Parts: sequence; C-alpha cells; structure tokens
Amino acid sequence: MYTEFHARSAFSFLEGASLPEELAAVCAEYGMQSMALLDRDGVYGAPRFYLAADKSQIRAHIGAEVTSAAGWRYPLLVESREGYQNLCRLITKMKLRAPKGKGDVSGREVVQYARGLVCLSGGEEGPLAHALANGGIESGMKCVQQLCELFGKQNVYVELQRHFLREEEARNHAAIEIAEKLGLPLLATNGVRHAVPERREVLDVFTCIRNHRTLATAGRLLARNSELHMKTPAEMAQLFADVPEAIANTQVLSSRLQFTLKDLGYRFPKYPVPDGKPEIHFLRQRAHDGMVSRYGLNNKRAQAQIGRELDLIEKLDLAGYFLIVWDIVRFCREQNILVQGRGSAANSAVCYALGITAVDPVRMDLLFERFLSEERGEWPDIDLDLPSGDQRERAIQYVYERYGKLGAAMTANVITYRGRSAAREIGKALSFNPETLSRLTSLVSAWEYKDANDTLARQFRDAGFDMQHPQIRKFFELCLQFQDLPRHLGQHSGGLVVCQDQLDSIVPLEPASMPGRVVVQWDKDDCADMKIVKVDLLGLGMMAVLEDCLQIIQKDYGEEIDLGRLPANDPVVYDTLQKADTIGMFQVESHAQMACLPRLRPECFYDIVVQVAIIRPGPIVGKMVNPFLKRRQGREAVDYLHPSLKPVLERTLGVPLFQEQLLRMAMIAAGFSGGEAEELRRAFGFKRSERRMKEIEKKLRSGMDRNEISSEAQEKIILAITSFALYGFPESHAASFALLAYASAFLKCRYLAAFTAAILNNQPMGFYQPDTLVRDAQRHGLKVKPIDVTCSDWLCQLEKSGQTFCVRLGMRFVKGLRGDVALKIVSERAIRPFSSIDDLKLRVPMIQKTELATLAEIGALNFIGAKKVHRRDALWQIERASRRPGPLLENVEEKGMEIKDKTVELEAAPASSAILSPLAAMTGEERLVADFRGTGLTVGLHPMGHHRAEMKRRGVRSAMELLNLPNGMHVRIAGGVITRQRPGTAKGFVFISLEDETGISNAIVTPQLFESNHVVIVHQQFLMIEGKLQNQDGVISVKAEKIEPLRITRAETTSHDFH
Amino acid sequence: MAFASIHVPNFPVQAVVRAEPSLCNKAVALVDGAPPIWNVIAANEVALLAGIELGMAKSQAVQFHAVEIRNRSRVQEKSAHAALLDLGASVSPRMEDTAPDTIILDISGLTFLFGSDENIYRQLMQRASSMGLLVHVAVSSNLEVALQAARGFSGITVIPPGEEAKCLGKLSVRALLPSAEILETLERWGVRDCAALAALPVLQLSERLGQEGVRLHELARGACLRSLVLAKPGVRFEEEMALDFAVAELEPLAFLLGRLLDQLCARLEARALAACAIRTHFDLEDSFEKDFQVLSENSPPKLAPKTYEKVLSLPVPTRNSKMLLKLLRLQLQADPPHAAIVKIILSAEPARPRAAQGGLFLPSCPDPEKLELTIGRLANLVGHANVGSPELIDTHRPGDFRMARFAPASDESTIPQKNATAFTHGSRETPLTAFRVFRPEIQVNVEPQQNDPTRIYFRGMRGNIIAASGPWRTSGDWWREDTWQQDEWDVEVRFDSVSGQSQKISSPRTQNGIYRIYYDSLRAAWFARGRYD
Repeated sequence: MYTEFHARSAFSFLEGASLPEELAAVCAEYGMQSMALLDRDGVYGAPRFYLAADKSQIRAHIGAEVTSAAGWRYPLLVESREGYQNLCRLITKMKLRAPKGKGDVSGREVVQYARGLVCLSGGEEGPLAHALANGGIESGMKCVQQLCELFGKQNVYVELQRHFLREEEARNHAAIEIAEKLGLPLLATNGVRHAVPERREVLDVFTCIRNHRTLATAGRLLARNSELHMKTPAEMAQLFADVPEAIANTQVLSSRLQFTLKDLGYRFPKYPVPDGKPEIHFLRQRAHDGMVSRYGLNNKRAQAQIGRELDLIEKLDLAGYFLIVWDIVRFCREQNILVQGRGSAANSAVCYALGITAVDPVRMDLLFERFLSEERGEWPDIDLDLPSGDQRERAIQYVYERYGKLGAAMTANVITYRGRSAAREIGKALSFNPETLSRLTSLVSAWEYKDANDTLARQFRDAGFDMQHPQIRKFFELCLQFQDLPRHLGQHSGGLVVCQDQLDSIVPLEPASMPGRVVVQWDKDDCADMKIVKVDLLGLGMMAVLEDCLQIIQKDYGEEIDLGRLPANDPVVYDTLQKADTIGMFQVESHAQMACLPRLRPECFYDIVVQVAIIRPGPIVGKMVNPFLKRRQGREAVDYLHPSLKPVLERTLGVPLFQEQLLRMAMIAAGFSGGEAEELRRAFGFKRSERRMKEIEKKLRSGMDRNEISSEAQEKIILAITSFALYGFPESHAASFALLAYASAFLKCRYLAAFTAAILNNQPMGFYQPDTLVRDAQRHGLKVKPIDVTCSDWLCQLEKSGQTFCVRLGMRFVKGLRGDVALKIVSERAIRPFSSIDDLKLRVPMIQKTELATLAEIGALNFIGAKKVHRRDALWQIERASRRPGPLLENVEEKGMEIKDKTVELEAAPASSAILSPLAAMTGEERLVADFRGTGLTVGLHPMGHHRAEMKRRGVRSAMELLNLPNGMHVRIAGGVITRQRPGTAKGFVFISLEDETGISNAIVTPQLFESNHVVIVHQQFLMIEGKLQNQDGVISVKAEKIEPLRITRAETTSHDFH
Repeated sequence: MAFASIHVPNFPVQAVVRAEPSLCNKAVALVDGAPPIWNVIAANEVALLAGIELGMAKSQAVQFHAVEIRNRSRVQEKSAHAALLDLGASVSPRMEDTAPDTIILDISGLTFLFGSDENIYRQLMQRASSMGLLVHVAVSSNLEVALQAARGFSGITVIPPGEEAKCLGKLSVRALLPSAEILETLERWGVRDCAALAALPVLQLSERLGQEGVRLHELARGACLRSLVLAKPGVRFEEEMALDFAVAELEPLAFLLGRLLDQLCARLEARALAACAIRTHFDLEDSFEKDFQVLSENSPPKLAPKTYEKVLSLPVPTRNSKMLLKLLRLQLQADPPHAAIVKIILSAEPARPRAAQGGLFLPSCPDPEKLELTIGRLANLVGHANVGSPELIDTHRPGDFRMARFAPASDESTIPQKNATAFTHGSRETPLTAFRVFRPEIQVNVEPQQNDPTRIYFRGMRGNIIAASGPWRTSGDWWREDTWQQDEWDVEVRFDSVSGQSQKISSPRTQNGIYRIYYDSLRAAWFARGRYD
C-alpha cells in the first residue's frame, strides 16, 4: 500500500493543474487510503480536499510547501493540531510582512514553529536538491542534518521521487546515501502536480503564464515529461522496487499523522458581557428589551416565539454569536449607518427584537427552522446589508478594531478561470496576437441565455477561428480544461470571520490588495464547511441611496425620516406600483418585474414580498407565476395540493412560492421536524446528491403514507418540492428586500428630488442608465438642471425653485473630470466667484485642457462672468486659456507673484471681445451630441422629441399613445434602446425597452427574428419596431415582426444590455 | 500657370475593383487585419448604404449577403498608384507625387498638345477611366487649391483665378488634412467647412491653434502658395512582370529572371548603389492538386500559400547580375515553387557597394561572393536547413538544434578570442566523456524484457545488453503537430559478432560499446541516438 505525500493542487496557483476534488477522486479510484496535499505557501485547497476525501473515506493529510529565504521550499506535513496551528502561524507570519503573493521564512522562524510538523527533504524544489546542486553530497548531507536540527531527527524523511529523469536519479542515489549515513527513513513520493497525465498540458500553460512566456519560448521551463501525475500504488511499488522501504514508510508516516481538518479547534469569540454574567443572560435581557419596544408587553405569541428561540440558542451555545452581530448593528446605529439583516436571519424573532432585522417574523408567521435548527448542526448565517462605500468600510474596520488584526479577517474569494480569462491567457501562451485575443474575448457572449448554437465552438467561429486548425482545436480544448481552475485569491465582498483565539492558528491570513485588509486563505463556502462562523457585511447600493436620500431630506426639507416608521400603507406607493411606474425602485424596476406588477397589483406589504419573490428563476422555471397571477385575478380556482396544506399555502393561493412553504409542506405532509425539512431543502439544493435525494424522497413518502395522503397527492407534493427546492427564494429574504423596495418607492413618490439626487449620486447601480433615471424624474415633474461650474458640486444637489425643489446635476457626471479638480473648483468658487474662464484656469491650474473642453462643451462654463455665453463661446475661450504661453512669456509665471497678480487683475475684467466668439451657437442636435459625449445624459428634450413630427408622418406611436390602443393592433414604435435582455429563463426570446420623450415601450423579439436581425438589434442605439400590440391586464408590449435601425441623432446614448 | 490635381477617391476599393472589373457596380467592402481577425477598412457607397460600417468585423460584414467582401490588396494599390503616375506622366512631365491616391500636374502650355483646356481635363478623365480608375480632377492656378478641391469635389472642377475662397467654401475641413487634435477642436467649434474656417479672425485663431491654425486658415481661403515638388525617382528598386502564360520550368524562368536582374542592376548602377539582398516574389497559378506541399518527414503538412517568396541575402553588396542569377537559380533548385508562376516581382535592397581593402596581417579569407556561391551550392545539395553553424535550442527535445547562417569572421577581434578559447580548453585537465551523436538516428531492433531492453540488433550487429540505465523519459511540444515522446536508455552492449559495416560505429578493438538508445512511442520504433566514446 502506498500514500502520496507530496501533491500540489491547482490551489498552488499556476503550479498545479488539478482541483483538490480531482486529486481525491483519483486517489479513491486507485484504492489509496490516505493522501497529503502540499500546496505552495498555503492551505488554500485543504478544506475542499478534506471534504472530498472524507466523502470517499480517505484520510486527508494536510501540509504545505513553505518557501525559504534561499528560494527552495520546505515540504511540511502536519502531525498534530499543534503542528497545524504552527503551520498556519508560520505562513501567516511570512505572508503578512510581504507584498501579496510573495514572502519567505527564515530558519529561525521555522524553529519557532516546527513542533508538530514533519519535514521532507523535497523534490526538485526542495532543500536537498538545492544543496546537492550547489555543493554536492557534502552539502546535501549538511542540509539534511540542518533539517534534523530544525525539526528533530524523528520528524525528517528523505524523499525520493522518480520521474524517469537522469538528474533526479543521481539525486536519489545521493539521498539514499545520506539517509543511510544519518539513519533517516526514506519516503517515496511522486511530486504530483496533476491528477492525470493529460493535465500536463494545463500545467505547461500555467508555467507560461507564471513566467510571462509563450509555449514556443518557454523552452526548458516546461515539464520534461508527463510523469507528475498520480500513480497507482502498484506503479509506485514497481518504480521503487529497489527501495521497498521507501514505499513501506508511507504507511508508517500516514499512521503517525493524526491531524485532520475535523480537528480544527475553532471557537467563536466570547462577547465581553458586563458584570461577568453568562452571555445568554445578557442576550435574554437584550431580547426582552427589544421585544418590549417592538411588540409591547402583551404579545403572547411573540413572547412564546422569542422564548423558544432563546432556549434553542442557549442549547446550541450561540448566544455569543447573536451578541456579536447585535454589537455590530449597535455600532452602526450609533454611527448613523443604515443597517439591515437579510436572508434567513429575518425568520428569527430574536433577530427582530435585537434590531438586527426589520421584518416581523411573528406577524408574518415565518419559519424559524429555516434559520436555525438543532438537527442541522450548523452555525446560523446572518447577512447584514450596509450602504455600499465608506459606511460599510467603517463597519468592517470596527470589527477589525474590536477583535484585533489576527482575530478577524475577510473571507477569500477564489478567482477562477472563466471563458474570457481562460481564452486570453491560453491565447497568449499559444502566441496568438493581441488583436486576435481581444476580438475573441470581446466576442465571448454576454447573453445570459445561451441557445443551442451559442456554444464556445460558435464563438470561436464568430471570432474568425478555423476550428479545423489543429492549434485552434488545442486552444479550444485547453479553454474547456481551464474552466473553474483557480487563478488567484481575491477578497470576498463582505464575509468576515472572527475567532476566539488567534484566527491565524485556524487558517493562514494574508494581506489583501486593499490596504489595511487581511484575508483568510479560504473562501466563504470553505469557511462554512469548516464550521467557521462568518458575518456578511454586504454593501447594497440601494442602502446607500436610502441613506443619502434621508440626509438630503434632513438637510433640504428639514424633515427627519425614520425608515422604521414609514407610513405602512401609503396609497400613492401602491398606486405607483400597480402602474409599474417603478424606475429606480429597489427590486421592482426590471422589465420582468414591471411586466408582472400590473397583473399582481400589490395592495399591501405582503404583496410586495410576493412580488419580489415571484420574478425569480424558481417560480418561473417551476411555472408558478401564471397560476398564481390567474388565481389572484380570480381567473383560476384556488387549489391546494392537499387539504392539510391549506394553512401553509393559503397566503400564496395554493401556489408554493417560498422556501419556507416547502419546509412546512414537508413538516405537515410527512411529519418532518423543522431541522429535517431544512435538510431536505439542502439535499435538493445546489449541491445535489442523488443518493441523499433518494433517501429523503423515501422518507417523505413514508411520512405521507403515515398521514394517509393519497398517492396522487403525494406525487404532486413531491414534484412541487423537488422542482422548487433548487431555486426557491426564502420568504424572510423577500420580506427584507420588500422593506427596502417599499422604502425606495415611498421616498421616490414623496421626495422625488431627494431620491433622484441620491440615486444619481450612487451610480452606477440598478437597472437603468442615469439618462433614463433623469428622464423618468422629469416625466414625474422634477426639474433637473444641467451642470454649471458656478453652482454644481461634485455630487448632485437640490436647489430650491419656488416652493419645490429641483436637482442640480453634479460634476461627477462630467466624463474625464477628475474628482480633485472638481473639488478645487468648488473650493475656489467658495472664496470668490470665477470672473472668467481665464480666471478659472488661473485659480485651478491643475485643470487640463480636455477637462475644460468637456466642461465648455456641455455648457458648464456658460454662466462664468457677468455675461452669459453660449457653449461655443466658452470653447473659443478655453482654447486660448489653456494654451501654453509662447517663449517670450514662458517665464513670467515663474518670476513671482507680482506679475501673476497683475495677470489676475487683467483677467478679472476681460474685454468683451475675448468673451464673445465668432463661432455660431450649437444647434439642438449639437447640444444633444455634446451632452451625451460629455456626461452620458441630457436634461434637455429626448432625441426622439426632436423628431416627433417626422415620426408621426411615419406612423410611429409614442410610448404614451400605446396605453390607449387596443390589444392586437398592428403598431410601429421607435426610440432609444435602454435595455436589451435575453434572460436565461426566456427560451431565447429577447426583450428590448425603447425610450422616447413620453415614456418607455417594450418589445418582445422571437429567437428567429433575433437571429435574422442580430447585428441591428445588438449594435443599433435607436430602433424602429413594427408588430402586434399586446395589452394584457395593462402590461403593454409589442411583439416584434420587423426591426430596423433608426438614424436620428449622432448622440452616443447607452443602454444596459445582456442581463 | 495652371495646376491640375487628380485624386482617386476611396483608393483602396478602387484599386481592388480595377483588378476585378466585375465588381464595378456592386457593393464592395474591403477587410484587412492579421489573420484570423479582419475588419472592414474601406467600402464603396453602395456597401455603406447597405449597412456596412467601417471598423466592422468581417464576421459581421459577411452577414450582408449583397456585399462583396474582398481583402485589401496593397499590391493592387501599388499598381494603381503606378497607373496614376503613368496617367500623369502621359500628360505632363512636371508632376508631383502627392499621395498614393493623388498627383498634381503642371498643365501650363499643354494646350499646344491637347487643344483646349477642356480637352486636357477630358483626356485626363478618359485616360483614368481606361486605366480602371474613377478620378476627381480639379484645376486651379493655385496648386493647394487644386489639391483640396480634387479631394473634396467629384468630377471636373475648374476654379477661376480669384474665386478660390468661394469655391473652396463648401469643402469639408477634413479635406485640408488637419491634425487629429485640431480637427477635434474644429468639430467642437462647429467649424465644418472651409468657409466657416476662413471666416474666423486669423489673429485670434493663431492664439488658439498656433501656426497650424494659420496654415489651415490660408488653405481654407485658397491663399496658401507653394511650388510643385517634382516627383523624384523612387528609392524602391523593384521590377515586376506579369506572365500571360504560367512558367513551370526553371530554364525559361531563369531567362526572365536574368532580364529583370539586368534591369535592376542597371538601375542600381545608375544610382551608384548595389544590392545587399534580392527579394523574389512569385504569384503562383491556382492548382487544386498542388495545394498541399509534400514536405520533409519531420515537418507537418500545411496549406501551401498561393505565392512564393524568397530572400537572397548577400554577404556583400553586389550588382553582378550574372552572379545574382546563379545564386537565384541555386535557390530555386533547392526550394522550387510548388506551382507554375504567373507573376514575378524582383526587388533589390539597395546598399553602398563594397569598398574592399584586405588587411596585411589578416589571414586570407575566401572571397565573400565566391563563399556565398559555394554555400549556395552546398545548400542546394544538402538543403538550406543543413548548412551553416549549429546552434542549440532551448528545449527538452533531445538533440535538437538549428543551423544559423554561417558568417566567416571578418573582424580582427575574433582572432585573439579564438586563441583564448583554445588555450582554456587545452589547459583543462579533467577528461570529458564524449558522446557521438548519430545523425540521423539509426533504427535498431531491441528485444525488451519487462520493458527493459535485453538484446539489440543494428547494422548487422547483435549483442546482449549487459547493463542498462533508464528509461529516461521525455515528451513535449504537445501543442504542435511534431510532438515527441521518447524513452531513452544508456546501454552497455556486448556484441556477439562484428561485421565490416559495424566498424563504422563500434570500435574494432573492443567487443563492448556504450550506446544511448530510445524508444519512440509515436513511431513505435527503437533508435540509436549515439555512442559514448
């Protein structure tokens, strides 16, 4: 029997070519009972390797190759938990002091952390090979003796590898001699870099990427043969037939290494409770206080629920976790940072009472087991939504401060190779020229929906590649092999892990690219699998909008708005939602949501919850949307799968829409406990396992048999559960999102100016371009003023206009204008107004000519000085202002302030001839082009508005007109494309939204029409579409029959495509 | 004095259409780029109306079924330019070669030859048409005005003296070819035609756009004066011959090459220059059967191009046409074109002739010209890849090397270096094991036992392998078609018998030999790579 002790996975980043799972699978296939993974300077792949090995009942030994200061690597294996902790600390020490991706350890550090570790003498990159190459056998002997001094003689193995190479065999001879002389055991390994021989090609391409070479120029950097793959015990025994003890020793060593990742020793930090009382007491107290404020003293149901939850929390010893999350939320509240828990945490009444979530699970009758159950044995997962940007950063820094640099870290995000990145890197290695590569990568389709023809092969053909060409063929095969292999480690957007003791003894820490951030070597799934508790502090653009909006309201309207106390059933909000007038509103603004709203007609908060949840892949794929809408409209009878399920499905008219319903169905129909039901959801979820699904289905059926449910009803229930579990949306999550949706709708309806300014200040986000948001606000009566350097700030601001407010666009929309330049303009302007463009240039010397030109072109310089000028006057002036002085006057500025001041005086009162230009003012079309070129939007008339008369002549209906036309009528619509979608669930249909000066019209394009008009649909910004009008329950769209480009303006409008 | 400017609009498209007259009334788009990426770089009006856009990818352009897509042809452009020059020269000896698509002629006094001015213009249009070119002709007493007008206006434009500014007024400022930065500024200003530009106050314009602005202003007003820059003889020495009947034999080809070389050398001589390289370009006849070249065993089969190109680099510049012909013949014999030739282009890279002065104390070297001829003859006998100095390649592929061009030492400094190297080698005390490589490798028969070789037969010898070390495994170049995969052994062979032939390989004094043999997995055969001395 043989154990492989020296294998690298693809988590050695460009030095290994197989995923840990693949290595574990091959290990199992070859009948090995154990295997070790030694990735470079880390244990990145260890959790995945451990889990995969565990499934196959293989013992996963953990270790790493740690880089020494001399450049070679110590192959270290973990013997005990202490060894693991030492290894993690050693790597952390090395990583944290070096730039990202670099670092090495000194001999002194190795001694410090050597306990519990076993060291091998290594392969080609090991210490022995390095010593032999540099000083022969004497040096080799000395090197191994040093290893013995560092790790202890009993912890050093002399490693032999055989890959059919002459130099390696010479090394083996020396190694055997050294081992004999020093009395050390020999150990056979294969220095595995890939699971199977074919993956050698991937390894070679990785080598090229690492060394910035091509395959043609990499020469001897590439592997000499394909022998670095996993070998069977029999093959290894044959290879080392002359030194059988080297094989036998693998079993001795394997039995010595007792540590596995099961024995990680992670503990969640204790919350520092005042007075030293138990955490649960403190939590009960906080929950009680919260309950009183949320429910009052007489809500028995809430009391019971909270009591039940607290009992379970106590039983599972999770009080500390809740207190720590509560502590973060408390910090945010104190700092006026908006915060809201999302996800399954909203199912918990304790979370609601603690102020972590904002949805009342008692009133909404949400299922607590979806969040936490005794059976599941998992840590609960609380995600906090925070305003994206600086506010979220403050919350993260608070956690760092609170738990120390080595006590908290972000979870990693493993960046893997995808279509584009793989194609780019492989293409480089194969010496494709840059144009070819950029063409290829730009052609990799971004459509969500991939039709049968939209394969990688087709993309290759579209890019002009000949698939018959052997090199192209190889390129294609490599692209497929590269998919999902890790490229490097990034930082997860918000996952934070904290630890009672030092986190660096649980998992190595690394510096992130962002200064001040530390990241663990595992991604969030690995952390969850290793039962490390994480708190997700997620940035949500809409939270930032809401926060900014509240600040604007407070500053300009003088009103304090508390999102927790918004009027519950504002009729204006529901009226707006029913009309699908929802541009800019959270979660209800997409085309699909808008098409559903007039049919669903939300009338209360729960309807918004349903609305948020219904336009999801689950209900759509599960064909739940239409039955639900029909039942809601009374066009279909409400039917429950079984009478016993009525209480569960009543709220959603017999149609299961939420994950919680699925869980409850299993609980009622089959008598599952809450935990068992949650297990069912997981079994049918993303990480499906046939075996587990079969087991649970059997259990489900037997439970339903006990409850005497007919076989017909059983089939229906099982079908509902199995088809829905994969995609279902949790009700609690939908409710949290619905709260934000309601808040955004309320603020937009009631404080349009503030909401518009806030959403514009947080672009890019959401579904629409700023131009569409501005246009929508204008249609609702808001005046939006253009950018003007005499009054615009960097951000959009409100200006009082009579009794109402209007929005002044901020300079952040000026393309190419640097933020510090804009801020300097604002600060100089505050000292005294600019008297002329020359004055502006003089006082803001850092402004560049291109920036000035853009400002002039968009009209932002029109109001400088006493006399208003037109845009071309300003353009005429900036050319002179930004021109360098000739040689005669070149040194004038440098000679002193006196002359400079005189210049100021001169510029302060420019002659009118210098202000006015001989140029003609811009026409409307020219202004439009300039606006879009300079800011991406216009506050003037929509381009279609300039051509309405002509459009009428051509029989084009405006978006507004469509509202009053009968269903089935043949119509012609036209406008600027604002969105193009080809959703994954729409079977190749394309949805196009066209905007004109009156509103938005939608068109549906069949796959056939799309295929024949592909170029026009994808590339043209203005389209004219003919087809049959569909007006179903107020949802208006045109089923396109003919599509042609419309050339009405040269303005470079933009659209949001390919969602 | 009057100048006529002749401009070929959409020159790349016209150059292609001229070579393929059937495209005359069709929508045509030209694509260009590095394979496999092609973009539309030019298109005629009909194609643009059909929806073609410049910069579009070829894969998009081919979706417009009514549009003929062709590759841009620089050869055709060159040929069209030559035709344009011919057109000019056929009318006036005083000609300016302004751009590939534009020439300017001094047509003063030509009425004596052509009759009226109108006749001259008509002749120009007719002759252009007969050469397959559709041109714009503009005539003015101001050379620049004629030039701009020809670029901007179609047909024949005659600008009377004094009306230059008025006539140019409608012309786009782009016709003045301003720099990209100034063009952008003018576009921002809304200044699109020459009239608008001319209307700007020149002083203020100069404050803003500098001297280039002033120059453009003058051009726009038709006030820019300059003299005709007479076209100088080109610096390209190229002779081209399109053949009515394809030539497939070397002798008639050599006759044609000789003629062209004579012409080339005469031109070089007239300019007191010599050729340091001769570039041969043949257009080959389309031939389906011959599309695949039969290549040497080790090279992968590949699609043969429809052209044949070779460069004959010379060690010293020469204009000896006879010697050049001999070298070309040798080159063609060694690597003949794979199809009959329909067009010949010979071009010479000019250089100063050699001024040879041998050093008194330098060892005599062979005459470089003779040496080149000798190397050429050798290459003809053994193949170009087998002549020169061997050079190792950075690869794991066993025994791989390439032949670099043999360059005899011509510098004194190399002599002491050589001595130094010799000294160092001479003083080395440790004896080295030498490995004698068999080139080409010798195929052998090996009897393996449990994958290890035990007995070997080759070149009439047979022997027992008494000691073997291996296998040493190498494989690589998997992305190429000539990948390799070999298992090597170092074997000590005790031979049973020694034939006369074997003495060439094994020393006659010993019955034992140490060899390196390998098994080629792809060819499924055993070979001897060489012997350890």
